[in-house]
Amino acid sequence: MSLRVLNPNAEVLNKSAALHMNINAAKGLQDVLKTNLGPKGTIKMLVGGAGDIKLTKDGNTLLKEMQIQNPTAIMIARTAVAQDDISGDGTTSTVIFIGELMKQSERYIDEGMHPRVLVDGFEIAKRATLQFLEKFKTPVVMGDEPDKEILKMVARTTLRTKLYESLADQLTDIVVNAVLCIRKPEEAIDLFMVELMHMRHKFDVDTRLVEGLVLDHGSRHPDMKRRAENCYILTCNVSLEYDKSEINAGFFYSNAEQREAMVAAERHQVDERVKKIIELKNKVCSGNDNNFVVINQKGIDPPSLDLLARAGIIALRRAKRRNMERLVLACGGEAVNSVDDLTPDCLGWAGLVYEHVLGEEKYTFVENVKNPHSCTILIKGPNDHTIAQIKDAVRDGLRAVKNTIEDEAVVLGAGAFEVAARQYLVNEVKKTVQGRAQLGIEAFADALLVVPKTLAENAGLDTQDVIIALKGEHDRGNIVGLNQHSGDPIDPQMEGIFDNYSVKRQIINSGPVIASQLLLVDEVIRAGRNMRKPT
Amino acid sequence: MREIVSIQVGSFANFVGSHFWNFQDELLGLGSNPESDPVFKNQCLNMDVLYRTGETQQGILTYTPRLVSVDFQGSLGSMSSRGTLYSEGSQAPSDVVTWSGSVSSHASEPHKKNLFLQSLYEEEQESFSMMNGTTRGENDSQREIQDKDIVECLDNGVKFWTDFSKVHYHPQSLYELSGLWTDMQDFDNYGIGRDAFSEGFRGEEMCERLRFFVEDCDHIQGFQFMVDDSGGFSAIAAEFLENIADEYANTPVLLYAVRSPGSYMNLKSQKQTIFRKLHDAVSFSRLASFSKLIVPLGLPFLSESKASTYLRIENDKPYHTSAVYAAALHSTTLPFRMEPVGPIADSFDVSGAVEINDFVQMLAGQARQNTVAILDVAMPAPTLNGKQGEKSLLGNLQPLTPEVAEDAEDFQAVESMVVHGALGSDGHRASISEVKDTVNGIYENAITRPMFCHLSVARCPLPIPLPFPSIFGNFVGQHGELLSTPIVSGSFSRGSIDVHSIPMAVRLRSSSAILPFLENRLVNLRRFGLERGALGSELLRNWGFEKDELYDIGETMSKMVSALNPDLQLSSEDSD
Ligand SMILES: Nc1ncnc2c1ncn2[C@@H]1O[C@H](COP(=O)(O)OP(=O)(O)OP(=O)(O)O)[C@@H](O)[C@H]1O
Ligand SMILES: [Mg+2]
Repeated sequence: MSLRVLNPNAEVLNKSAALHMNINAAKGLQDVLKTNLGPKGTIKMLVGGAGDIKLTKDGNTLLKEMQIQNPTAIMIARTAVAQDDISGDGTTSTVIFIGELMKQSERYIDEGMHPRVLVDGFEIAKRATLQFLEKFKTPVVMGDEPDKEILKMVARTTLRTKLYESLADQLTDIVVNAVLCIRKPEEAIDLFMVELMHMRHKFDVDTRLVEGLVLDHGSRHPDMKRRAENCYILTCNVSLEYDKSEINAGFFYSNAEQREAMVAAERHQVDERVKKIIELKNKVCSGNDNNFVVINQKGIDPPSLDLLARAGIIALRRAKRRNMERLVLACGGEAVNSVDDLTPDCLGWAGLVYEHVLGEEKYTFVENVKNPHSCTILIKGPNDHTIAQIKDAVRDGLRAVKNTIEDEAVVLGAGAFEVAARQYLVNEVKKTVQGRAQLGIEAFADALLVVPKTLAENAGLDTQDVIIALKGEHDRGNIVGLNQHSGDPIDPQMEGIFDNYSVKRQIINSGPVIASQLLLVDEVIRAGRNMRKPT
Repeated sequence: MREIVSIQVGSFANFVGSHFWNFQDELLGLGSNPESDPVFKNQCLNMDVLYRTGETQQGILTYTPRLVSVDFQGSLGSMSSRGTLYSEGSQAPSDVVTWSGSVSSHASEPHKKNLFLQSLYEEEQESFSMMNGTTRGENDSQREIQDKDIVECLDNGVKFWTDFSKVHYHPQSLYELSGLWTDMQDFDNYGIGRDAFSEGFRGEEMCERLRFFVEDCDHIQGFQFMVDDSGGFSAIAAEFLENIADEYANTPVLLYAVRSPGSYMNLKSQKQTIFRKLHDAVSFSRLASFSKLIVPLGLPFLSESKASTYLRIENDKPYHTSAVYAAALHSTTLPFRMEPVGPIADSFDVSGAVEINDFVQMLAGQARQNTVAILDVAMPAPTLNGKQGEKSLLGNLQPLTPEVAEDAEDFQAVESMVVHGALGSDGHRASISEVKDTVNGIYENAITRPMFCHLSVARCPLPIPLPFPSIFGNFVGQHGELLSTPIVSGSFSRGSIDVHSIPMAVRLRSSSAILPFLENRLVNLRRFGLERGALGSELLRNWGFEKDELYDIGETMSKMVSALNPDLQLSSEDSD
C-alpha cells in the first residue's frame, strides 16, 4: 500500500501551498486509519506482491506496512510509532486526532486566520485537558494484591478492539495472569519476562498460559528422554563444544602428531566440563528417580551430548540469551557461567519437562514449576499472519495491564473522556481566554470529538445523533460513552470499558505538538528530509 | 564436517548471494544426475557444510542453505519470504479467523513470475507428475529454444535478486526489514542505518533467525558474512556483527564487503563527495572491528578492469557484476568444505582442505595481524601448459578489491590460493598433482615471493547454471578454455548455453598492497572528520559518532596502516 500524496522531494514550496500539503497529508493518513478504530473497526488484510499476507487492526502495524513517502505523513507516522513505544497503544487515536486538529484548523485558516493564533490556543487547551484528565481519571489502588477485576476490564477493552469477543475474553485472563506472575513488588514490570511463543497448527486457534517456559528447540541426542518428571534444571552459559584455541604459528600441519595432541588436549578440557555436570547430577539424583536437565546458552557438540545422554541427562544447546534469565525466574537456581563451583544450590526445579515435535520444529516445555516469576504465552494459529496478529494483540493486552498497575489509574472509555473534556474546554476554559486564541481552544475541543465520532461511524451509526446525545448527557452531569451497538449513551464504568491513563495522556500531549509543527510550516519544510537531526 | 552459517545483508550482497547459491544448487543437481560429467559426481565437497536437512510439517524432507538474508521490505519480488517448500497448505488466505467484524483487503500489484521462474515452476510440477508415473511430453529441441528465451529474458529484465534464483530457501532465511522499503532513497550512508537495526523488533528477530541455524549445527566452524557496505546496510551489518561477536565469541567471522559499480556513481557536489568518503571510512572501520578477516570487494569500473579481461560485463547491471563476485566467493569457500582424507594425504579430487578458523589464522594471525585481505581472481583460469601457463596464471589473477597497489613488493605477504577445474595443455582436466606442481613452479620462479602460500585444489570446475548472465567474451570455450581465436557468432557475449563450466583460480592475499585502500580511509577520516573545523564533523555527529569514538577509530586505522608499513609515520599531530 503506498501513500504518495505529493512529491516528497519538493523542498521549496511556498508557504501556503506547503501548509495545505501538510493538512492534506494529515487528512489522508486519518482517512486510511480511521476505519481501524474501536471494537467495530475494520481489520485490514494486506497482500504483498508475492502474495505474502499481513493482517492487522493496529494503527502502528498498519503504518509500518504502508510505504509512506510524503514527509508530513512520515512525521505523523513517527509520532504514532513513538506513541506505541512509550505506551503500547493509542496509535490510531493519535493519528486521527492529529488529522482532525489539522482539519479543524483548515477552516479557520481558510478564513484568513494566522496559524500562530491557533497554535497558541492549542497550547492552552492541551494544558487544560491534561489537568482535566487528572481529575477525570479513575484511581486504582495497587496494593500487594492488585484489583484483578479492574485489570481484566482494561485488558478486555483493549483485546476486544483487536480480536473477536470470545477469543479476546480467553486472552484477557491469560494476559492478566501473565503480568501478575512476573510482577515483583517495588520493581518495574519487565514484560520481557513473559515469553511469547507460537506454533503453527493447521486447525487450531488457541492460546494458553504456560507457567514456566517453552523453548523453541529440543535436545539433540536420540537417546535423551523426551519427557521427564521431577527435574533439576541447570541453566548455564558454558561452552561444551571443542573450540579450537588460537593456533600458534605452527599452522602448517607439518607435524600431524603435534596437531592431534593439541586437539586431544582441548577435547579433554571440554570433557572435564561435562564430567563436572555429570558429577552434580549424580550427587543430586542418586537414590531417587529425579531427572536432570541442562539448558545451555552455548553449544554442545556430539561427543558432549553422548556423555550427557549416557549419564541420563537431557541437554539443550544454544538457548536464547533472554531465556537464561527467564529460566532462573521460572525455576529458581542461578545461571552459571562456569562449571567450576557447581553446587546443588545452582539448580532450579521443574515438575515436568517434555518435548513436542511438529515437523522439524521442536518445542521443550518446562512446566509445573514452584513459584514462577516468568511465564510463556503460547499462541497457536493456522498461519503466520494469524499468529502475528494475535501476538500483536497479546502485546497490547500485556501493555495495558502493566500500564494500569504502574499508572494506578484508568480512564473511562467509549468516547466518555473525549466528550467530557470537550465540554469542559468549551464551557469552562474558553471563557478564561481573551480574543482569538479562543478559536484555537474551540478547534482543539472539537478535534477531541473525532474519537467518539469515529467509533460511531465505524459502528454504522449516525454520528450527529450520537454526538448530540452524548453532549446532552454530559451537560446534565452524566458521564457517558457510546454503546457501539445502539449508539445510545452508556456508562462505561458499568460496561467495564476502560482505557489506559498513560495512553490518553500521551495522545493529548503529542497530538497538538505535531499539529503545531505542521501548521507553522516554515520550520517543517526546511527540516526537509533530514528529520533525524537532533534538536 | 563442520558447518558454516551464511549471512547476507543488503541489496548487492543478496545479488551476489543469489548467484552463489545458484552455483551450489547446480553442483547438487549435477552431483545427483547420473548423466553428468564424473568430475561433478565425485566432487568430494561436503555440501552439508553449507546446507541443512529439514522436514516440513507434512513430513517431506528438505535441504536448504544455512542462510540468513537481510534486505529491504519488498526486495523479494515474486518470491514469498517463506520460500516455497514449507507452504502453509491450501488454507484459503481470505479466512480471517481472529475477527468477526468487517475485513478490508488491500493487495499490491502482484509481481509476475518471469519466464525463468515460470519454467522452474513448470519443471517442478513436471517432476512431481513424473514421480506419480506420468510422462513428460516435451522434447529436447523445444527445450533448447526455451532456454534461449529464458537467458534473453533474464538479460533484459532482472530487477530483484529472486528473479534469477533457482534455490529453495528455508522459511527462516529471508528476512525483510519491515518499514524499510526497496525504493527508499537516501539509505546511502552509515548514519541512516544506525538505528534501523534496533528499531522495532528487527535486531532481535534477525538474531533469532541466526540462532535457529546455529542451534542446528553440531559444531559450527564459522560465519560467512556478506554485506553491501555502500550505504545504510553497513550500519545494520555492524550492529548485527556486534551481537554475533557477543553471542558466539569463539566463532570466527569471515566478512566480505561487496559493492556494485553503481554505488560509485559520480557525485554531484563536493558535499556529497565528502559524505561518501566519510561513509567509506567509518563503515570500513566498524565492519573490520567485528570480523576476524575482512575482504573488501567491488571495483568502480568492473567491466574495464583487468579482472574482466575475458568477460563482457555491463557495469550498471547488478545481475552481471554480482555474478563475478559470486564466482570468486564460491572458489574461496571450497577449502572449507573439502572432505579431508587424512591429516596430510590428498584425495584424487581435492587437496588443501582447511577450516575457517585456520584459514583466518593463516592470513590474519601472522606477525603483522593484518585482518584486511585482497581477493584476486582469474575467471576463467588459464590452461596450465608449461612455462606459458605459469606466467599467465599469475598474470591473470587480478584484484576484485579496490584501491590496491599494483606493484607492491611484500616479502611478508601471506596468500591462499584456490585452483579448481583447471585444464591441462591438451584440454583434459588437470590432476591435483599437476596443478600443485605448476603452482609450485610458479612460486619458485617468481621474482617476489610471498612469505607463505597455502594452496587448495579441486578437480571440480565452476558449473554455469542456466540463469547465469551472458558475460563471457568470445575467447571463452564451452569448458571455459581460453581460445586463441575468437568464436564468431551473432552476439558478442556468451552465456550459460555456450559455456557450461569454467576453471577458476582465486587468491586471497594479506599484503601491503592493501595500503592505499587503508590510507585513503584514514586520510579522509582525518581530513574531513577529525581535523579542527573539518567539513564533515557535524555530519559524523549526526550519524551518532562521538568525538572520542572517532579518535579511537582513527587510532585503530592508523595502527592497521603502520602494521603494514612500519617505515611510514603518518603524523597525527595536526589532527586535533
Ligand atoms: N466496547 C467499546 N465500546 C465503545 N468504545 C470502545 C469499546 N472498547 C474500546 N473502545 C474505544 O476504542 C478506542 C480504542 O480503539 P483502538 O484500540 O482500535 O485504537 P487505538 O488504541 O487508538 O490505537 P491502536 O490500538 O491501533 O494502537 C478507545 O477510544 C476506546 O475507548
Ligand atoms: Mg488500542
